Amino acid sequence: MRAPAVRALGVLTGRAQPGGAPPILTLGRPERPGDRFRRATRECLLALAAVDAMLEDGKAPRAAIAGERTALLYVTAAAYGASNRAFIERHGGGGTHFAYTAPAVVPAEVAIEFGVTGPYGILIGGAPATLRAIGQAARLLDAGSCDRALLLAVEIFEECADLYARHRRFNRWPLVETAACLWLERGEGELRFESVRGGGPAAPMGRGGERFAAGPLADLREWLDRATAGPLELAGRWRDERARLGWSLVTSHARDSAA
Amino acid sequence: MATPERVAIAAAGVITPIGQDLEAFWSALVTGASGISQIERVPVADLRVQRGGEVKKLGRIKDWRGVPDCRATRLLIAAADDLCAQAAFRPLPLDPARVGVVVGTALGGVEEGEKALAGDRRRLPGALYDAPGWNLARWLGARGPVITVSTACASGAAAMAVGADLLRAGEADAVVAGGYDALCRFVLRGFDALRSLTRDEVRPFDRRRSGLLLGEAGALALLVRERDLPRARLGTLLGYGSASDGFHIAAPEPEGRGLERAVRAALADARLSPGDVDFVSAHGTATPLNDRIETAALKRALGARAHQIPINSIKGSLGHTMGAAAALEAFMCLLSAQRGLIPPTLHLEEPDPECDLDYVPGCARAARPRIMLSTSMGFGGCNGALVLEAA
Repeated sequence: MRAPAVRALGVLTGRAQPGGAPPILTLGRPERPGDRFRRATRECLLALAAVDAMLEDGKAPRAAIAGERTALLYVTAAAYGASNRAFIERHGGGGTHFAYTAPAVVPAEVAIEFGVTGPYGILIGGAPATLRAIGQAARLLDAGSCDRALLLAVEIFEECADLYARHRRFNRWPLVETAACLWLERGEGELRFESVRGGGPAAPMGRGGERFAAGPLADLREWLDRATAGPLELAGRWRDERARLGWSLVTSHARDSAA
Repeated sequence: MATPERVAIAAAGVITPIGQDLEAFWSALVTGASGISQIERVPVADLRVQRGGEVKKLGRIKDWRGVPDCRATRLLIAAADDLCAQAAFRPLPLDPARVGVVVGTALGGVEEGEKALAGDRRRLPGALYDAPGWNLARWLGARGPVITVSTACASGAAAMAVGADLLRAGEADAVVAGGYDALCRFVLRGFDALRSLTRDEVRPFDRRRSGLLLGEAGALALLVRERDLPRARLGTLLGYGSASDGFHIAAPEPEGRGLERAVRAALADARLSPGDVDFVSAHGTATPLNDRIETAALKRALGARAHQIPINSIKGSLGHTMGAAAALEAFMCLLSAQRGLIPPTLHLEEPDPECDLDYVPGCARAARPRIMLSTSMGFGGCNGALVLEAA
């Protein structure tokens, strides 16, 4: 499959809170002006902030991603846990609270705020889902279904910290809240996805902690901070699946410089 | 541009409120049976609307294999059991590592989350939205990719498209793909709070329509590359399109522009034009907004053809089965082509002048469509469309 090029990437990553008992690095709740966001969930607000960070990274105006030629893909393993729990425990929860429990509402808020109306997809799972979504974006770009693809990943943990603490054996610690948005365009070179269930080579753990679906984008951010071109391998695991993405990556920035 | 690899729908299996296998489902649809009843499994006394498409007498997991038990998983496995019977295989006739599972859901394992938060903390791992899909893979013995998509009520269509992509990318040689969702307090409370449920019958495209009722179901297809399938099949998945509304988190865009874009994209993906479409399975939820918007979108996307072809909604029969809906509707399309009958839109008695297309009121109609379009709309402005071809 033809590799996409990276136009920009915004990554927001959690920080340790003083005296925080559970080893969760949190992102807090970003402020956003406007009454529309009064009841928006934290995962939605973080998604919007990640898109802002991506636009800043790409030095692009909001209009650059608006319209039906922009695809929007969203991946998460568990960001909906916070809103689901709140609705379950808030016995008189209203319709808006319920609507916000749907994973689909996170990319919907991005689509509404930035006017993104192209193809979309939502995968639920950990890092392998994100690597697959990069492949989906590459296919959409290659088929001419869009001119740019945004890959959004959000993971938050704070609201369910006690639940994660009870099931520590399922996770690697610390859990690092992360919101990221990757802007892909048509590129050159090759993208190769491999996945193995059960055995297979161990996937390296992302530096600094567990980020579920957002892990590969945090790893990509680290790589981009060091380089603009070259072969890249992203890896991750979820349940018994280990996946790798081989990417002969050239960033759009690097391509512009070469031209 | 090269024509994409054709993907066959080799067989399908279902469990629904109107029938616990594909044949029973089909018979109930064409005879106008209703699966709507008083909800019995979860407490609903405090809710404004207490009816829905509940699957009665859903048995425990057949041939258990150590799979974690929950209702969502039971629905999936019941559908898979029917699929295995329809496809006449078990165990899988392929290398398990080459068999993938792709399921769509609006709710995942959220009922397990309800139980966990009520005190049964062992249930917690099952609360993740992808847990039932992994349980299905374990029951099937599938060792290939396991993917869960959650584009709200358009999830079943997206899952079938992702399954087809896995085959085209060579990641799998067979994919079990479809959708599911179980009725639980969480979703019944939610839709009750949204005031989108009706106390009347579900009446798609009827002047008196006043809302939807929820249903539960599992619906799975076996997808294979057409060149790998020497024997008879149910049909072919020709194309898929999606588009975001970018309008509101819970309400559809008033002009249906997102659905129109999804339909156009699906037809383009299938290399077909509106004039090729013989039959449409509409999303048709029977909410005042949805049906009017969908009618307008179909008219724009299909042009004059929209007035010439039958269009139905099966949600009057079984309620809105959320993640399973699009897959069930796709199977209904293919069975219509195979059996030469289009099921009616149940409870459509007084057509809405704003919904002025041929919505197949009354009884089943003799017709043998070749190319079929199935549309879906969901929370968050998710619009999806599938294009299918008869076998």
